[in-house]
Amino acid sequence: MQLQRNTNLIMKTITQKLVLSLTASILAAGTARAYDVSLSTNLPPVDFHGFLSQGFLYSDDYNYLGDSKQGTFGFTEMGLNAAINPFPRTRIAVQGFDFDTGNVNQYHPFLDYALAEYTFNDEIGVRAGRIRRPAGIYNAIQDIDLARTFVLLPQGMYDARWRDWSAGLDGGELFGSLPLGKAGSLAYEGYAGLVNMSDNGGVARYIEDGLSPGVFNSIDSTPTFGGQLWYNTPLDGLRVGASFTYMNNFGYTITEPGPLPIHSQGNVPMQQYSAEYMWRSWTFQAEFYTYDFTGHEYLPTMGNAVIGSAGDNPQTWYAAASYRFNKYFEAGAYYTQFRDFAWSKPDPDGHQNDTALSLRFDLKSWWIFKIEGHAINGTGLLRDSASNPVTKNNDWFMLAVKTTFSF
Amino acid sequence: MKSMLFHLGLLGFILAVGEFRALALDGAVVIANPGVAADSLTADSIKDIYTAKTKYWDGGQAIVIAVLPDKTDAALQQASGMEAGQFKTFWQRLAFSGRGQEPKTAADAGALVALVAANKGAIAIVPADTALTGVKKIEIK
Repeated sequence: MQLQRNTNLIMKTITQKLVLSLTASILAAGTARAYDVSLSTNLPPVDFHGFLSQGFLYSDDYNYLGDSKQGTFGFTEMGLNAAINPFPRTRIAVQGFDFDTGNVNQYHPFLDYALAEYTFNDEIGVRAGRIRRPAGIYNAIQDIDLARTFVLLPQGMYDARWRDWSAGLDGGELFGSLPLGKAGSLAYEGYAGLVNMSDNGGVARYIEDGLSPGVFNSIDSTPTFGGQLWYNTPLDGLRVGASFTYMNNFGYTITEPGPLPIHSQGNVPMQQYSAEYMWRSWTFQAEFYTYDFTGHEYLPTMGNAVIGSAGDNPQTWYAAASYRFNKYFEAGAYYTQFRDFAWSKPDPDGHQNDTALSLRFDLKSWWIFKIEGHAINGTGLLRDSASNPVTKNNDWFMLAVKTTFSF
Repeated sequence: MKSMLFHLGLLGFILAVGEFRALALDGAVVIANPGVAADSLTADSIKDIYTAKTKYWDGGQAIVIAVLPDKTDAALQQASGMEAGQFKTFWQRLAFSGRGQEPKTAADAGALVALVAANKGAIAIVPADTALTGVKKIEIK
């Protein structure tokens, strides 16, 4: 245990030094341009990009996404990627990533994606390796702050703590864009692979949080398949999409309250429906997301005797609008509702609605700053009962500030 | 019934408008690296390039988009259907999810022409009065 603590401390120290070095490099460079590095005269240059996002969260009532009640800077993301087209129609891309959100990950760098891609033509291509999972407007870029207006995406759909569950998988996918003539085009991605769950990830912490008393043991990596369809309509800027994901035999092991380990396992079908319309300086978005998980609980040490079941059936939707006033300033707002229909929790724990207002300042092409207010009703997404032993107030407020450097 | 007719009419209008799509770039022209085989492109194929539907030239060379922020924003919007900020965000989403290569940027028109000249497969929109050295002008059909 002591060794583990020391290892974590060393990793945290190294990562913090890397953060400072990356920040200093970006500031010293003072440019948003990517770095091209030539490996050989026979190969095209390698294209490097990177970013560092540092956030601050404050809430007036509950600890949400960290120790926000006293204000927390434990809200960091950083990535460094490289890409090259070594052969015709072939592309290789890799990204290292690190983040800290409350008690999740806490500065443990990892390989985010590493893929090889071959594009036969516009209609079909294949991508294999560790890939980011497409779902809706934001899933594949859920932790890329610079690629959106808002600091916090609707958390019932894009939980900042659950990226090991949602962000990527090891496997492959087919992708392409099918022209439909005057009717627009259809972009598709279909994938299959293994989602690598972490015993220290957000979903593991969520399961652990639900044990009272009990001990969390482990979480299983899960075979997963699915697809995303986007219909680009003939109306310029309007696209509508649908995605489906199926996690096969998602499972985890706990010990509660007796001495025998309990394994919970079940399939998780997910659906997401999306619409996005870019008109002049406006961007309008709306999405709906749901999944249905029923985990059958059994005792592996007692002949897999089934002892019960438990699960989640959440539904989340949001509607958002943002407007870019000029190259320096953008404003946006959204309203979102989350409710879990598998729960019988009384309010305020059974739901969470959020009205967000966000201001984004592009101070330089390589430096953005955001400030955002959230008027929240309900506590259904706190998912941290240890830090929030009493949840009696329905209405509360959160302030989110974030700055991102990129090149 | 009236509602259905209205929606059918709206769809017909959209389809009709789509048929007459043409590209006119305000005070700008499209250029490419001389190694690019194409001498002309349709408005739709230019849009496919700027919206990442087409990522490779015929022959397999990767398309490298180069942009000149601020000075060709209007033409970029006409080509891509997106305003400059939306265009930047669109490509950042692709780049940081491993699905595409972010456009290269240049500080001025001369630097943009030099960038296109130096990068195989490069394409760019430049102000029409720019001196074009080491690049080819692409006709828009």
